[in-house]
Order: sequence, then C-alpha cells, then structure tokens
Amino acid sequence: MTALTQPIALARESRATRAGPSRGLDRLFRGAAYGSAILVLLVLVGILASIIWGGWPAFAEFGPGFVTSSAWNIGTEQYGALVAIIGTLASALIALVIGVPLSIGIAIYLTQLAPGWARKPVAMTIELLAAVPSIIYGMWGLFVFAPLFAQFVQTPVSNLVEGMPIVGTLFYARVPSGVGILTAGIILAIMIVPFVASITRDMLAQIPTVLRESAFGIGCTTWEVMRHVLIPQASVSIIGAIMLGLGRALGETMAVTFVIGNANRLSASIFDPGSTIASRIANEFNEADGMQLNALMALGCILFVITFVVLILARTLTRRVKIA
Amino acid sequence: MSASPALRSQLSGRNPADESAPVRIAVKGLNFYYGQFHGLKNVDLNFHDRQVTALIGPSGCGKSTLLRTFNRIYSLYPEQRAEGQILLDGQNVLDPKIDLNELRSRIGMVFQKPTPFPMSIYDNVAFGLRLYEKLPKSELDGRVEDSLRKAALWEEVKDKLKQSGMGLSGGQQQRLCIARSVAQRPEVILFDEPTSALDPISTGRIEELIEQLRAEFTIVIVTHNMQQAARISQFTAFMYLGEVIEFGPTTKIFMNPEKRQTQDYITGRFG
Repeated sequence: MTALTQPIALARESRATRAGPSRGLDRLFRGAAYGSAILVLLVLVGILASIIWGGWPAFAEFGPGFVTSSAWNIGTEQYGALVAIIGTLASALIALVIGVPLSIGIAIYLTQLAPGWARKPVAMTIELLAAVPSIIYGMWGLFVFAPLFAQFVQTPVSNLVEGMPIVGTLFYARVPSGVGILTAGIILAIMIVPFVASITRDMLAQIPTVLRESAFGIGCTTWEVMRHVLIPQASVSIIGAIMLGLGRALGETMAVTFVIGNANRLSASIFDPGSTIASRIANEFNEADGMQLNALMALGCILFVITFVVLILARTLTRRVKIA
Repeated sequence: MSASPALRSQLSGRNPADESAPVRIAVKGLNFYYGQFHGLKNVDLNFHDRQVTALIGPSGCGKSTLLRTFNRIYSLYPEQRAEGQILLDGQNVLDPKIDLNELRSRIGMVFQKPTPFPMSIYDNVAFGLRLYEKLPKSELDGRVEDSLRKAALWEEVKDKLKQSGMGLSGGQQQRLCIARSVAQRPEVILFDEPTSALDPISTGRIEELIEQLRAEFTIVIVTHNMQQAARISQFTAFMYLGEVIEFGPTTKIFMNPEKRQTQDYITGRFG
C-alpha cells in the first residue's frame, strides 16, 4: 500500500506546484478571448450607432416620406430613398434570377456529369471568378459589355416590343445606352455565381453516394435524381448559399456604380438607368455635406435594415426546410 | 470438419433449395474492370426464380461488384466496365442498347445504409411508382399501403404517412427502402449488405422480411455475415479474389463444401 501511494502523493505535489503560474496565464487567455468577442460586438454597435446618428436628421426632416419619396434634389434639399431602394432590390433580384439557376447548373455539372479530367479546370475557373476585383467587373461591364448589350440586345428588343402591353414597357429602352438596372443585374449575377456555385457543389458532393445510387437504382433519369432527391437533400445549404449571394448583390458597390447609369428616375423598364443605395452613396459621398450627408447616412441605415431582413429570412427559411 | 456447430444450428429447419426452379438471371463469362484492375474473372452463375441467393466471401472478393452489374449501377462511373453476358429472362443486361432506367425499375436494390429520399414516407414509396405508371390516386394509395405491408412497416407508419422519411429509425428506414423497391414490382431485388448498419433486432426483422419476399421475388444478397447467409438463403456462392470458387445449395456449401478454400472460409480459417 505505502509503496503505491507514496509515488502518487509525490506526483500530485509536483503537479500542484506547476499549476500556479499557468493559472494566471489561463486567466489572461480567457480574458483575451472574451475581449475579442466583445470587441466585434462593440464595433458593430458603434457603426450602427454612428450611421443612425448621422442619418437621424434626414429621418426627422422627411419622416416616413423619406422611404416613399422618389425625390433626390440637391438644389432644393429634397431627399427620398425610393428610387435607390427599388434599384437595389430589382438589381439583386435580377442577379438571383439569372445567377442561381446558372450556379446550380454548374454545381450539377461538376458533381454529376463532368468527366474526371474536366472537373478541376472548370472548378478552378469558377473560383477564379470570385477572385476578380469588383472594379474590374465594373470596367469590363461599362466599356465592353454595355456597348455590346446596347447594340445586340437593347436596340433590337426595344424595336420588337415597342407598343406591346407590359413587355413593351418592361423591355423598352428610350435611350439604348447599354447601362441600366438589367445590366447591373447581369454583372451582379456573374459576381455571385462563384459563391453560390462552389457552396452548392460542395454540398452536393457531400451527399453520400449510396443515396445517389439508390435514386438511380429505382430507374430515375439524371434530371429526376437531381430534382427530387439530391437538390432537396441539399436544399438547406443551397438556400444558405443563395442568401449569401443575395447579401453580396445587395451591398455590391463599385461594379454596380459603373453600369447602372446612376439616374434618379423611377422607370418601369429594366433597360433604363437607375441607382442602388450603395451606388448612390459611392457617387455622392465625396462632395456631400449638410442635409445631403444626413440623407446618405439614412440610406446606409436602410441598406443595413434590408441586409438584416435578408439574414433573418435566410434563417427562418432554412429552419422551415429542416423541419419539413 | 465442416461448419461450426453455431453455423450448423442456423441451417436446421429452413426451406430447402429448389434446384428445379427456373433461372431468372444467368451470368455467363462475366469480366469486370475498375480501370486496370480486373475485379471479376470469368464468372458463370445462375440465379433461380424465387430463391434467395447469398454471395459470400472476404472483403474485396467481388461480391458487391457482381451485384452492381445486374442493374448496371456501376455505369455511373465511367472508369468501370463489364464484359460478358448477364441474361435477365433471356435479355442481355450488358447490351449497350438497353434502356437503363427501365432495367433499373425491374431490378430493385437495397444498400448497406438506409437511403430514404428527402420527402414524406408516402412519397418515398410512391416516388418510384409514379416514374413508370400513371395511377389514379386511390390505386396509388392501395399500392403504397400494399408495399408498406409487404415491408412489414405499415402498422408503424400508417398514422404518419405525411411525415418525412428521414425521421424514422435506421431499421424502419431500411424497411422503407425495401417498400420503395417492392412498390415497383421488380423481378429481382438486390440486397447489398442490408443489415450492416443495423442493430440485431432490426437485422432479425429484415431477415424475416427477406424470407417473406422470396414468395414473390428473386433475391440476391451480399453479406459478410456467414450466419446470415446460412439463415436466409437457399443458394450460396462463395467468391474469392474476383472468382466464384463454389456455388450450390446453402446446406451443401456449409455442410459439405467441395473446395478447400470454401471450407477454410466457412470454418473461419481466413476472411
């Protein structure tokens, strides 16, 4: 007995002496971790507070009319956010309508159809798209894409639909300049594709092969396997990926500022120029002061709220899908 | 000197093999390649109608590979190819002109792990049916119920058909997958180690189920559990390194094998 307990007691003693200094270090470590977490929170609260503080005079001056008014007149100091809000939502929506099917198609090709040798190069190209700075997209959109778009899409389509009900308004360009809401939406679609496609691809690749084989095993075609089994199986993560893309499309500034036309005009045509919240702020911040600056800050608040709503929507949607 | 007493006891009191049953699947001179690797070597094997045939052998012997050639599920992977003949009711499955989707609806397959689809219990069973038959709702309901009954799952799920199939236990999910196969009224059902992810009670239920399904379907089961093969099969093929070493009635393979390798395997000397 004694022969056994003695070494244990000795070991315990030496351990106790070693624990002293490390306990202080541990406290420091915990403190640093807490501090880092709180710092992020403080930064967020600080940004939010300063934007609200800066935008408050505009909200106070125009009231709810700030959101519903389409005026943006620097001379008479009349400001309203409607055009920018609609431009933001419309261009982001167009980006999703074009970009999401494209991304899912790419993901399906990469995980299901591509021969082994093609997978890597295609996947690399998609990921490289994500590395292109947004200013490059903007320049390319303005100098290369927009003229071609005006010549080969806007002009012929406008001529075709002129006078027709609904489409004659929606797709009619009074001045086919190539820039506008649709152009911005297309450029945004190209920008969100790498994000949505690579997340969707990863999610599809994670689905166990037996599930895929059993879907093929009951006689499904590739389309049926994707439509009824694999896409629903990955739907939660795909919705997450789409929301990430939406968040990016809503907030994207530089590329959109180049190609949206920066007009403060409410138009029913998606060929017409418009502006988004981010592009408006980027365009005017430099020379703004007084009420104009307050109005821009207020715009920032609204963008913040929109992205926050998107985030909450994404959360509730994914939760609902999980239960179903 | 043959099977251990434990194995022997599994064999007693079971349905004898019917060697006069017609041949449902005839495999002739089948060779299989994974790229350069020669996975199956000149396999010749007959599978009898409404009998359970077990494929046994050590890991990597090619038993799953053989199973996967019957519905050509291997062809999802371009580097895998098969040569030879697999005649399903006289029609060569390996014929490149064959309609793969139609073939797969005639051959059910159940995998190592349960694979419920992300939809309701009802839709899991009805899904395969809807692909090939346009049935009125009442008839569809009847077929779904019938299939779930045959899979011994109806009593457990009849009140929650609209709930997700993912919410069931592992054993229930596997029976749901069996119901899904049964619903298509296939000629053959392939089981690829169907109980390897299940607890003993669920395993017992699946085994009883396979015994019942034999009345209607030709069954091929891959298993690495020799007692399972002894319990549920009428015929057994022992495979080793891509070759069929011995094939015959299960009682004969386990009690009185002809080949030395078969005997070594079933007495547990290797594998």
